[in-house]
Amino acid sequence: MKKTTFPAFLSTALLIYCFWLLITGQIVAIFQGRASWEVLVAGALVSGFVSLFTARFFIHRNAFYLLAPKRFFSLLAYVFVFLWELTKANVDVAFRALNPKLPVNPGIVKVPADVKAEYGLSMLANSITLTPGTITMDIADENGKTNYYIHWINVKETDPAKAGDAIKGTMEKWIRRIWD
Amino acid sequence: MNELIFFAICFVVLALTLLYRLIKGPSVADRAVAADSIDILADMALILFALFSGRGIYLDIALVTAVLGFIGSVLVARYLEGRL
Amino acid sequence: MRIAIDILIACSVFFAFAGVVGMLRMPDSFCRMQSSTNIATFGVLGVIIGGFLYALTVLHDTSMAVKIAVLGVFYIVTNPIAGHAIAKAAYRHGVRPEKDMTIDKYGEDLEQND
Repeated sequence: MKKTTFPAFLSTALLIYCFWLLITGQIVAIFQGRASWEVLVAGALVSGFVSLFTARFFIHRNAFYLLAPKRFFSLLAYVFVFLWELTKANVDVAFRALNPKLPVNPGIVKVPADVKAEYGLSMLANSITLTPGTITMDIADENGKTNYYIHWINVKETDPAKAGDAIKGTMEKWIRRIWD
Repeated sequence: MNELIFFAICFVVLALTLLYRLIKGPSVADRAVAADSIDILADMALILFALFSGRGIYLDIALVTAVLGFIGSVLVARYLEGRL
Repeated sequence: MRIAIDILIACSVFFAFAGVVGMLRMPDSFCRMQSSTNIATFGVLGVIIGGFLYALTVLHDTSMAVKIAVLGVFYIVTNPIAGHAIAKAAYRHGVRPEKDMTIDKYGEDLEQND
């Protein structure tokens, strides 16, 4: 378990405070000029108190890493890349389910991951799980290389590298651009 | 205005259809996934009803059910793995 | 504007319907999980975007719109975690499809390690 550093504490507190502002509707009150400062200060105190205990679970490296402009715009672009992949996969699985013949060919393939950073690895795994048709089942280290085990509803390739190209598509390139 | 409540009824009917999988499902994982999906569909119906009636309070209820559904499915998963 | 919102929500209903049909028809547990992802992505996204636009343009209620957007981000962030946890736990617990899978690397590697 890592110790809590001050930048990690600060970034976690800011994140929790922004989430609180959004969820309670205080952000609208600020823009309309009817927010009372007592409420805002109470929220800041509580989010600081909470982030004292939770910062060490969230932040494992430089806390304000994502705020460099290049990475931030890559993240924004990744949202659209991901939406495109999501649309293709959604239409594919929806028509596969509605097809009277039910053309499924399930299997679990092993796929290498070329991302180094641990946030990047978990982001790629979550993106793969979120696209219908593929679910990441496990991550394993095998003599220095990281592998995903992916359940795939329609196995086209059994070779690891080719299956990786078919599943990950363009997502991996953008994630490497964000986190490496 | 009226079409929102019509879509909400569609979501409720879909959720009720999914009850079949919840009752019959041969394994525990099927039941957990079906319960999670029913939760999501009910939340969609709640959002549409909040828009239909114009009251924000239903959105808070939808948020609470979303958090509880997520915690519930993670809890079932940890229990199945024997690490609870 | 109203028509665009209706089309978005109708798309969402269609994908949720496809997901429910898939969950009822698919042959084994893991394929059913794939169909449930269908409900949780496009079945949610259409309602979220449509509801956001509806709250902004028709109801003129910004706090409701912000809350709906937060709800959508919450679904997108938490759903893959729950799906991954249930899939892994079900496999480790011994859930297997009735029909043999085409390829099962995970089972082979688990047997080697034990």
